[in-house]
Amino acid sequence: MRWLTVTLAMGFIVALLFGLMAVAYAVSAALGDLGWLSNLVILMVVFVMVIATLLTVAERKWSAMMQDRIGPNRARIALPGLKDRSLGGLPHVASDALKMLFKESFIPKSANRVLFNLGPVLAFAPVFALFAVVPAGPTVTVGGQPVPMVVSQPDFGLLYIFAIASLAVYGTSLAGWSSNNKLALLGGVRAASQMISYEVGLGLSLVGMMVAMSTVQLPAMVAGQERHLWEVTLSLGSWSLPLGIPAWGILLQPVGFVLFFAAAFAETKRAPFDVPEGESEIIGYFVEYSGMKFGMFMISEFVEIVILSAVTTSIFFGGHNLPFVGAALAKSDFFLSHPIVWGAFSGMVFWVKVLLLCWLQLVIRWTFPRFRYDQIQSLGWKMLLPAGLLNVFVAAALVLIDPELKLLAILGMVEIGAVIALTTTRRAGEEDHGHLDEHASGPSTTGTQDHGPPAVAASAAPPHQGLSGRAP
Amino acid sequence: MSYQASQNPRDDLRERLYIPELLKGLAITTRHFLRNLFRTRDTNTSVVDRKGPNLVTTVQYPEEKVQYPEGYRGLHRLVPREDGKPRCVACYMCATVCPAQCIYIEAGEYDPADGASESKVIEKYPTAFVIDELRCIVCGLCVDACPKDAIRMDTYLHTPSEYTREGFVYDIPKLLKGPAVSHKSDPWNKRPDSEEPDHQHLEPHVRIGAGLVAHKAPEHHAPKIIVSTDQPVPVVKFIK
Repeated sequence: MRWLTVTLAMGFIVALLFGLMAVAYAVSAALGDLGWLSNLVILMVVFVMVIATLLTVAERKWSAMMQDRIGPNRARIALPGLKDRSLGGLPHVASDALKMLFKESFIPKSANRVLFNLGPVLAFAPVFALFAVVPAGPTVTVGGQPVPMVVSQPDFGLLYIFAIASLAVYGTSLAGWSSNNKLALLGGVRAASQMISYEVGLGLSLVGMMVAMSTVQLPAMVAGQERHLWEVTLSLGSWSLPLGIPAWGILLQPVGFVLFFAAAFAETKRAPFDVPEGESEIIGYFVEYSGMKFGMFMISEFVEIVILSAVTTSIFFGGHNLPFVGAALAKSDFFLSHPIVWGAFSGMVFWVKVLLLCWLQLVIRWTFPRFRYDQIQSLGWKMLLPAGLLNVFVAAALVLIDPELKLLAILGMVEIGAVIALTTTRRAGEEDHGHLDEHASGPSTTGTQDHGPPAVAASAAPPHQGLSGRAP
Repeated sequence: MSYQASQNPRDDLRERLYIPELLKGLAITTRHFLRNLFRTRDTNTSVVDRKGPNLVTTVQYPEEKVQYPEGYRGLHRLVPREDGKPRCVACYMCATVCPAQCIYIEAGEYDPADGASESKVIEKYPTAFVIDELRCIVCGLCVDACPKDAIRMDTYLHTPSEYTREGFVYDIPKLLKGPAVSHKSDPWNKRPDSEEPDHQHLEPHVRIGAGLVAHKAPEHHAPKIIVSTDQPVPVVKFIK
C-alpha cells in the first residue's frame, strides 16, 4: 500500500504548510509594526531554508525514482523505533550536513584567501535575499490592522529581483578566479558569460507581464491575477458558486513564461545549463572548495530553485490564489470571519505551487542533457532575446487594444493549445509534414513559437543548428 | 508509446519548435517517477526486467540477494562423513592439482591396531587441511580431482570478509560443514561394524554412472545447513 503512505505523507506536508502559515500570520499580527521581522524569519529562514535543505535529499531521491532506482535510504537514526526505518532518506539531510560541517575547509596555498572566503558568501547572500519581495500569502486584516505576508514591499519589486539576481554572478566568478585553478577559472568565466547573457532575456521575458498587470510589484501582480477573466455562476437553488478562469500569467503570457523559466533556469546554473559546473568536463568554479564552503554553493543552488519557483508562482501561477474557486472562497462567511485561517489557507496554496514547481525543475534537470557552450549562447542571444522582444511588442499591442486582457488571454490559450496539440499528436509520415513552408502556413504554429515570422522560428532550435550546421 | 526520434530534425516541425519534444521527454521522466513513487516495489530478485507498475530494479544487497545460478562455485567445504569427520583420505590430489597451490594437507595414518572400525578400511586421514581462500582462484579443479567426493564448492556462499589475512586461511573446523554425504561404495560403509550392507561389487564400466540415474540433484535453494563439527551431522544419502 505504498500509494496510501505516499498520499498520507503528501497530506501531512500540506497540513504542515497550513499550520506553519497560520503560525506565521499569528506571529506577524501579534508583532504589529515589527511584523516584517517575523516574516523575515519565518518565510526566509524557516520556509525557504528548510525547503532548500530538503531539496538536497529530494533531488537524490526523486532523481532515483525517475531513473528506476531507490535512492538514498541507508542513513538511519539509531533510536529504538527508527533503527530499521529509512524514513524516505530524510536522515541523509542530517548526515550530509554533518559531513560537510566537519570536513576540512581547505584553502589552496596560491589562492587569494580573502576572495576565496568571500566567494561562497557572495554566491549565497544575494540568492537568499531574493525572497524578500515575494508574497507568500495575502494581506489580511486582523483587528483592523493589515498583516502582509511579505518581508518588504518596495515600489521597485521585480527590478529588485533582477538587480539582486545578477549580483550572484560575483560569487561564482570570484570563486573561480580566486581559486587560482585553471578549471575553476574556466567555470567562473563560463558562469559569468552565461549569467550576463541570460540577464537580458530574463528581464525582457517579464516585461509582458509588467505591461499586462501595470505594475512591477509582486504583491500587486499576484492581486491582479486574482481577477477572473471569464466567470460562470453555477447555481443550485439558493446555493451558487461562481467559477472563473483566473487571469494567471501562464494564460496571458505563455511565451513569457517559457522564456522566463528558461532564462531563470540558466541563472540557477543547473542542468541543462550547467556548463559552469560541468562536472564531467571541468569540475566548475568550486573545484577547490571543500566542506561547508562547497556546501554554501550547493545550498545556494537549491535556494535558487525555491526562489525561482516562488517568483514564477507569483508572476505566472497566481501566487497564493486558488484557481477557479478562490474568489468564491474568499467571500465565504467562514473565511471572512477568520482572516488568519484564510491567510494560512492561501499561503498553503502558494507553497504547494512552489513545491510543484520545484519538482518540475528537478524533472527538467534530470531529463535533459547539458547544452553545449555555443548552444547556450545561441539560445540566449538568438532565440530568447528576439522572442522576448517580439513578446513585449505583441503583449503591449494586445493590452493596448483590450485593457481587459481577454485578447491576450485568448492568444495565450491558443498558444498553449497548439503546444499541447503538437505534443500529444503523433508525427505523421515523414512526407506529410516537416517542410519549411509549414512554419508559415498555420497561424497557431507560428503563434506558439513567438508570434513571429518564420525567420525567428527558424532560430528556435539552436541545438540542431549547432549539431548539423557547424560541422567543420 | 515509445519515443521515436525524427530522422531529420531540421525538417521536423516539432523538433524545430523544441518545446513539444521537451514536453515529451518530461512526460517519460514523469511517468517513471509517478510509477515508482506510488506503486510498491517488487522485491523479487529473480526478475531483472520489470514489467509491473513499479520499475525499480535495484536489489538491496544485504537484505535481498540475487540467487546464484545452478552449479555456482562457492566457498569450499570439506564434506563430512556420517560421524562428522571429514571424508578426506589425505591423498593430496587436490593439493597437487591446485594451480594456485592454496591447499596444504598433512596426512595422519590410522593405526590398524587401535581397534577403531574405520582404521580397518581407511588408511589415512588429514591431521591438517588448510585452504588459503585469498590465494584460491575458485577454479574448482580440487573438486574434480577429489576421488572421495570429500571437497565440494556447493555452499553457494562467497568468502566472508575478515579483518586479518590469517582469517582467510581456513582449517578443518572452518571448512567442515554442510550435510554429510555417504556413497554406497565408501570404504566407510565397509568397516566391520557398519550398519550398511556391504557394497555389491559391479563391473567398473557398469558402475560408472550407474548411480547417476538415481542421483537427484540437491535442491538448489534448499537452506544451506551450516553444521558445527561437535554436533551430530545430518546425513544425506545420495545412492541407495
